[in-house]
Amino acid sequence: MTHALRISGLRKAYGKQQVLDGVGFDVPKGAILGLLGPNGAGKSTLIRIIMGIVDPDAGTMELNGSSWSREAVRSIGYLPEERGLYRDMTVGEQAIYFARLKGMTRIDAVRELKAWFDMLEVDGWWTKKVSDISKGMAQKIQFICTVVHKPSLLILDEPLSGFDPINARRIIEIVRTLADSGTTILLSTHDMPSVERLCDQVVLLDHGRVVLSGEADELRETGWSGEQEIVFRGNDIGFANALGAAAHLDGIEADLTKGARRARVRLRNPEEAGSVLKDLGEAVDILEFVKVRPTMESLFIDAVERAAGQTELAP
Amino acid sequence: MRSGLIGVVILREWRTRVFKRSFLLGTLLTPLLGVGLIALTVLLTQDAVSHHIVLVEDAPGLITRLDSASGQFVPRCPGCFPERSRLEYRFVQVAPEDSVWKGDGYSVLVEYDESVLQNQAGHLVYDRSPGMIAKRNIERDLSRAMEHARVMASTDLDWESYQRLKFDLHLVDREVDSGGGRDQAGGEEVRGMVGFMFSAILFLILAVYGGLIMRSVVEEKSNRVVEVLIAAVRPEELLLGKVIGMGAVALTQLLSWSVLTTAAFTAFQLLFDSGALAGAGAAPGPGEVSADLLTVMSENEFTSILLDINWGLMAVSTMAFFVGGYLLYGSLYAAVGASVQSEQEGQGMVIPIILPLMFSYIIGSGAMENPEMNVLGILSWIPLTSPVIMLVRVAVGVPLWELALSWLLLLVTARLVLWIAGRAYRHGVLAGSSTSGWKLLLQWMRGHGG
Repeated sequence: MTHALRISGLRKAYGKQQVLDGVGFDVPKGAILGLLGPNGAGKSTLIRIIMGIVDPDAGTMELNGSSWSREAVRSIGYLPEERGLYRDMTVGEQAIYFARLKGMTRIDAVRELKAWFDMLEVDGWWTKKVSDISKGMAQKIQFICTVVHKPSLLILDEPLSGFDPINARRIIEIVRTLADSGTTILLSTHDMPSVERLCDQVVLLDHGRVVLSGEADELRETGWSGEQEIVFRGNDIGFANALGAAAHLDGIEADLTKGARRARVRLRNPEEAGSVLKDLGEAVDILEFVKVRPTMESLFIDAVERAAGQTELAP
Repeated sequence: MRSGLIGVVILREWRTRVFKRSFLLGTLLTPLLGVGLIALTVLLTQDAVSHHIVLVEDAPGLITRLDSASGQFVPRCPGCFPERSRLEYRFVQVAPEDSVWKGDGYSVLVEYDESVLQNQAGHLVYDRSPGMIAKRNIERDLSRAMEHARVMASTDLDWESYQRLKFDLHLVDREVDSGGGRDQAGGEEVRGMVGFMFSAILFLILAVYGGLIMRSVVEEKSNRVVEVLIAAVRPEELLLGKVIGMGAVALTQLLSWSVLTTAAFTAFQLLFDSGALAGAGAAPGPGEVSADLLTVMSENEFTSILLDINWGLMAVSTMAFFVGGYLLYGSLYAAVGASVQSEQEGQGMVIPIILPLMFSYIIGSGAMENPEMNVLGILSWIPLTSPVIMLVRVAVGVPLWELALSWLLLLVTARLVLWIAGRAYRHGVLAGSSTSGWKLLLQWMRGHGG
């Protein structure tokens, strides 16, 4: 598989603080990779190194199969977490300026920007000064400035901050569309629902190290600890007796839409799901037997806590 | 360096400032105010060159005699009252009442008694001052006539013999040139003043536009634009684009001022010479005649200096040293802007930068008194002071090779400082730390730190 970005053994220290400690991962072309981690994990430093804003102490990077170069970085669309606009420029001139810095001609920039302004319904603000527009509007302009030059790799650092839910959903849809059309996206965010909805791949950083990485579905599958949701018709006591010692019953509640009962159980041995289903089927009518996979949020918390435990145990 | 990208940055810096209302107002109003001040000076002082008919009351009969043919009092020494374009004399022994002689068209009355030969004092009576130049001419003419009277009364010499014996030493300036020959010289003080005027303008522009660069860098840091910029443009390119862009704004203003000042001055000159301003306080009084603007200016002590300026040479030198000085100081201001978190903090840090400029300005002001002092020669070789000081020397006179070498030295230093400032800028603009200051700036210049 070809990769839009390959990072290997990246290290960076500020004074005695080791911010990145041998970080390495690949971002396949066309994928949406979620870069996750608690505050201070090193995500922004990593992004700044990729963008050539900060020099690494060690490590290598490749962009689209070639060694990292500043010229190649120019083609990346970058939306930093701390972003802003010139207050004394008009929205349109400002967007043209950023597009031209990314190598577009003025004519191309105006044409593409007009289309994006139209799509995000900010076309009436072209001649307004930034000081006259709302924060949400400014966020849209910043997003447009990031994607207008059609980058093959898009790095978005907390792209949804400052957006209301409706506009946040709109941005998510646009990001999805961009990915579908072949754009590779590195998404750094704390917004777990958007990670669930968008990301094909996940890299979790903690204390400058990769503590979890892989395909999102695979990680959730691997992280499954036997939790099942079962919808049935029948007697609760009969259900509990049939479950026996094979699983721990977390609770049963009425499922009014189906006119049935909904139980949440944790299998003691996840591999015995089949036999548990067979036993239950003999006691009650099973309508649904659904594997409840962990959320990205729970995987995130588990991984960070696990990493913290390992650090404490380390001599 | 990618010139295309630098060009985009330059264009933004230029456009956002030049098309601002405040810039347009400042650019339009400054030359109008400047020419307006000169016009006001001319209009208010032009009485000095109005035509005056002076009535001299020679009560003791020292310098006049009654001409029997005409029945008028005439000077005993006609040559003592040379023909002057705006000065005429009439003589009487008893002057009428003030209201009468004023009504007769005289603008000035001179009166004295017999003691004038001892105490050398008389009175100049008027209701509107004839001005400094007219007064000086009247004093000169009457002094000569009195001198004639004294010579006639106390020596056996006739006036012509006395004139031949009289001795006035006049020293003509000659300067030894580098080739061992001698050149005409003189007027250094006036030229020093002209040079100082230009160096003062350059001082102001370097300080004002340097401050603008610093403010612009601080603004980009505080509004978080810089992170997006640095991802597309190298910090050194951004710094260069910013400095050149702002310099282009300054040049635009200088050129606009030159063109507008010339246009406004020409318009004023045309209006003045056509007599259209006669109603605005410039109306010739009784017996006065109008004069053209350049004549009026040349006879006024202040405005005559303006006519002595070699504008072309000064303009070229100003532009050349502006470019070098601007690159040097602009880089320093940008580095300071990158190292601070707020404009207020930057104001404190620019003091060490502005000190050499201030020092040059103060030394330059001394050139008006002593334009050839040695310290000017020394400071014109030091790049931090040469942009301001060299302009004084250019006005006074400087060998071309010194001028060129000093400028080259300035350019080389500016390039070096630009490179060092680029390093500081790179670290500074992206530093999120709240710490700042000279120590941190020096660390960044060495390429250390975050």
